[in-house]
Amino acid sequence: MAFEMGPETRQVQGTWDVTTYRYKIEGKGMKLLCDAMKEKKIRGIRCNECRTVYVPGPTFCRKCHIDIDEVVEVKDTGEVGTFAVLMADMRGNPVDTERVSAQIKLDGADTWLGGTIEGIDWHDVKIGMRVKAVWADNPEGKLSDIDHFEPA
Amino acid sequence: MRNVAIIGVGYTPVFVSKRKDVNIVEMISEAVDAAFRNTNLTPEDIDSITFGNMQTFEGLNLPHLWASEHIRALDKPTIRISTGGTTGMSTLQAAYYQVASGLHDVVMAVTWEKQSEGDSQVGLTGIVMPEAMVMIQHGMDLFGGRGMAGMGGGSTGAASYQAMSYLHHSGASPEHIDKMAALERTNASKNPYAHLRKVTTVEDIQATPFISWPLRYGHTCPTSDGATVAIVASEEKAKKLADQVAWITGVASCTSDPTTANLIEGQLTDSAEQQPARIASEKAFAMAGIKNPKKEIDMAELYNGFAHQSLMWLEKLGLCKEGEAHKMLDKGALDIEGELPTNASGGVFSTNAIGASAMNRPAECALQIMRKIEGEHQIPKKVRNALAHGWGGLFQYVTVVILSDEPRKAK
Repeated sequence: MAFEMGPETRQVQGTWDVTTYRYKIEGKGMKLLCDAMKEKKIRGIRCNECRTVYVPGPTFCRKCHIDIDEVVEVKDTGEVGTFAVLMADMRGNPVDTERVSAQIKLDGADTWLGGTIEGIDWHDVKIGMRVKAVWADNPEGKLSDIDHFEPA
Repeated sequence: MRNVAIIGVGYTPVFVSKRKDVNIVEMISEAVDAAFRNTNLTPEDIDSITFGNMQTFEGLNLPHLWASEHIRALDKPTIRISTGGTTGMSTLQAAYYQVASGLHDVVMAVTWEKQSEGDSQVGLTGIVMPEAMVMIQHGMDLFGGRGMAGMGGGSTGAASYQAMSYLHHSGASPEHIDKMAALERTNASKNPYAHLRKVTTVEDIQATPFISWPLRYGHTCPTSDGATVAIVASEEKAKKLADQVAWITGVASCTSDPTTANLIEGQLTDSAEQQPARIASEKAFAMAGIKNPKKEIDMAELYNGFAHQSLMWLEKLGLCKEGEAHKMLDKGALDIEGELPTNASGGVFSTNAIGASAMNRPAECALQIMRKIEGEHQIPKKVRNALAHGWGGLFQYVTVVILSDEPRKAK
């Protein structure tokens, strides 16, 4: 095609500071979960209409559209829903050690949560594989209290 | 509801990674000029304008008003549409609604992105900013990826989850993704408006590094600068204004719960399920009077930021049975000369000016039906019905447009 780009024009720099925004977040389910994690437990919210268990728990059922508040404890074991093996960092550079990142459906929960799987060669990870949580020695009530998952 | 046709399309002269010679509105005006040139219309013929691009990708809040003169919008209604990856098709659908309803007779849909001037990662983060902030405050390790909900890898990370689940449930192999990628890049080499235009072999794809298993660098789309404009008209006007048109016979869109990044309230759905694709395509087929899509749809233009998605969408949109797309690929059915040419243009996978990406799908279908394709990717067989598909949001929003060589029959 005959089209040729014209001469390059000037470029000016602009920024937009996203840290100046102030978001209002309910966050009850996240607090429930993090408080439980201090005791090495995982808690979510169940809908008493359709029995769906959410972790972390929302304040309303996303299927039934009703308010929900029934606290339930789920297990720290579960099943791999899907996974990926991270081989490059955020900038696209290859990593030294591949890391298995998975979406895990905990026993007793209907939702998936992200986590890292260790203690297995990444070639051997399968969808449907059983895993269990490995807790930090001194949990502080943070999502990082589950350090990783390993094959159960 | 009135019948509506696409009567012409205008592209920027090229889709490339950096247009350093023009600013945003100058680039948009190139596609507007092309649409007027290709239809022999003037701005006086246009009743209304719809306008679409991604929010926050270039950090511009009112680009349609900055561009008002460049899109010839003075004295006309102008509305901006922004629905994520589906933006281009939503912008066309908005134009369709205005004409089908009888409100306007001729409407111009303007879609674009100039990704080189913005930051796509900032734009993507902006989708889930409040949730991401909460997760980080509660100990999520955003970059290292340790601990519960640890993330890493941006959009490709989430797409890898989808690709893995799709491979597991369909029986396709990672090599099928390589093969689909090579086919589409080679198709793109024939399309003068494609961005990555290099004849590509399976071996070329397999020589690229993995980003996140099962996806390689060679399975991912580029970021492009470019714009696409389509002009739609009522049946009465279309017959007066154009010799060749493509009729919009079905439109639909559908959402599900966010299948990625519903971070603080638990994710319910496997991102490879894509129920909205099934629902939207069934609605669009019914509207277009298509009873057997596997037989009646002659070609597909699918929204595929990642190469596995072309195969996945063929199944989810009802164009083949679940688990069969990779078998169709193996027997050559998806080639330009095949029984169901898929992304003859090279797809989003080869050209991705995001706001225009879901517009290029119906635009390509329309040009194929009119047999006005420039370049070497004209489908040899007669195209009667084509399916155009858009996808995006938090992996959960699907748009479908059916284009046909004849208008919808009055019921």
